Amino acid sequence: MMPSIEVKDLKKSYPKRISLPFRRVEWVEALKGISFKVRKGELFGLLGPNGAGKTTTIKILTTLLEPSWGSAKVLGYDVVSQAREVRRRINLVAEGERTLYWRLSAYENLRYFASIYYVPKDEAEKRIRELLQLVGLWERRNDLVMGFSRGMKQRLAIAKALINDPEVLFLDEPTLGLDVQSALFVREFVERLVSEEGKTVLLTTHYMAEAEKLCDRIAIIDGGRIIALDTPENLKRLVSEGETVEIRVRNLRPEKVKEIDERLAVSEEDPTHGTLLLRGNLDEEDLPRVVERLIRAGAKVLSVERVEPTLEDVFIKLTGRALRD
Amino acid sequence: MAFLAVMEKEFRMFFRYPLRVVSSVLVGLVFLVQFVYFGQAVLGGRYSSILHASTGVGDYPTYALIGYVLWWVSVSPMEASVWGIRRELQRGTLESNVASPMGLLEMVVSLALSWMLMDSAIMAVVFLTGVIAFGVSLSWVALLKALPIVGLAFLAFLGSGLVFAGLVMVFKNIGPFAQIFEFLVLFISGVFFPLSTLPAWVVSLSKLIPLTHSASAVRKLLVGMSYLDVTGEVTWLLVLTPLYWLASYALFKWAERTARVMGYGGY
Ligand SMILES: Nc1ncnc2c1ncn2[C@@H]1O[C@H](COP(=O)(O)OP(=O)(O)O)[C@@H](O)[C@H]1O
Ligand SMILES: [Mg+2]
Repeated sequence: MMPSIEVKDLKKSYPKRISLPFRRVEWVEALKGISFKVRKGELFGLLGPNGAGKTTTIKILTTLLEPSWGSAKVLGYDVVSQAREVRRRINLVAEGERTLYWRLSAYENLRYFASIYYVPKDEAEKRIRELLQLVGLWERRNDLVMGFSRGMKQRLAIAKALINDPEVLFLDEPTLGLDVQSALFVREFVERLVSEEGKTVLLTTHYMAEAEKLCDRIAIIDGGRIIALDTPENLKRLVSEGETVEIRVRNLRPEKVKEIDERLAVSEEDPTHGTLLLRGNLDEEDLPRVVERLIRAGAKVLSVERVEPTLEDVFIKLTGRALRD
Repeated sequence: MAFLAVMEKEFRMFFRYPLRVVSSVLVGLVFLVQFVYFGQAVLGGRYSSILHASTGVGDYPTYALIGYVLWWVSVSPMEASVWGIRRELQRGTLESNVASPMGLLEMVVSLALSWMLMDSAIMAVVFLTGVIAFGVSLSWVALLKALPIVGLAFLAFLGSGLVFAGLVMVFKNIGPFAQIFEFLVLFISGVFFPLSTLPAWVVSLSKLIPLTHSASAVRKLLVGMSYLDVTGEVTWLLVLTPLYWLASYALFKWAERTARVMGYGGY
């Protein structure tokens, strides 16, 4: 069966300055050649730290940006040469909270987007009502978006993204900046879209737990490259050997961590208390030696804990760094 | 239709705040009154035979009112570009539009047209107020006769204003520059004082501005002259309009290509 999304050796460089004709510009390599396929009905995650290239990938796939190299197809249509065909069949929840018109009501926003997605009028009325009820905003439909909370805005953005009943849905960091309850709503909603309505979803996130819990498969992206791509279970197998530990220390500068042990990374920094939370996947029996070296380096070890490995540890293992918020 | 949707959206966002609409009308009136009294002070009265000789309209309030109202509407598509499109560019709503099957071109043109119609509504009020306040004599027949020329003028205004749509997509913050341009247009297109008072090279330059010809033609028609008296102006407009539309289109295509390489929005 034809994949819903097919990305081949995609590269993207941004010019650093406005490119007046004939003026030399520097290029920032945001994507350095990524490839992947997303199957129909799959919930696919792009997981990576800030600046990894997640938004760039989404923008290329949603026809907002042209790749510098390589090709991308959505539902069999080329995102550059057949952009209009792609646009009719997809939709997106873009990054940030300003993607809707704050000076229009929830209802007016959806009606506007229904029109520019060419949803027939009588069908639009019905769908807007359904969607607003689904995201719990029907009672607030006539209120201006301006007065909405961050969570309500995001729920409306999701309703907007479903207005044309898209076959493929793109979500760029859909839970970023949301309160716990709203984030939970978004996750469960997206999960249901895939399991109950058979939609294909590509979402980006830098929350490990979110990717791990939601996604059928995850591509870990860092510095414009995909460094691993598999199901969460298979990815975690990379760190199933040995033991994963969390060590809380005081009096240790973050730069020193790699000198103690290559496999450790700083997963949290607490400047107010001057403590670091180190994390790493060590071989059995290594732990005492690591602790000893920490003490010898002048650090005060506050606690040592064995933990269940997560995707965070996969990322640390692959990059040497923790994927921090 | 997507075009109607854009228009409905813009109208809603504007007319939602009655205070803003009222203040726009007031700003429009204050400017007008200032210019009319200033002009009359310089001329030493309401009627000027020099003005009549060079433009066909001798009554200064009539002369200024028509040109002023058209000027306001003529810069509207430009304002839609440098403020309206820019705002959406900054906030990310532009991308929400670009990602839709409507496409950016239709959205940009619709937005500029919407702003021009909103400004026309405001200027209709200012015009009527001006007609009453200054005792300008007008006939319905003359008004009707002027309508086709106003329509042609609107097309020209749109075409020339949309030049800025492409520019704003690439250079982002051109609002201040556009504002200077706006006032330049006001002073060299024969709106407040006749072209004959300007140096020859400025007059030549002013021929490239659609407002110059639109104001002249509409003024003549409103004081009762016939279409035959405005063939020069109409010819200019018929030549300039397609040229501006072509230039705007080329600039827009260039800007769109650039934006698809650099990214729309904040960077
Ligand atoms: N329009 C742009 N112009 C220049 N550089 C950009 C632009 N957009 C993104 N970048 C750069 O490209 C890299 C990848 O960015 P992005 O795709 O936004 O990453 P992510 O979404 O994973 O945080 C970053 O280094 C970022 O600074
Ligand atoms: Mg991003």
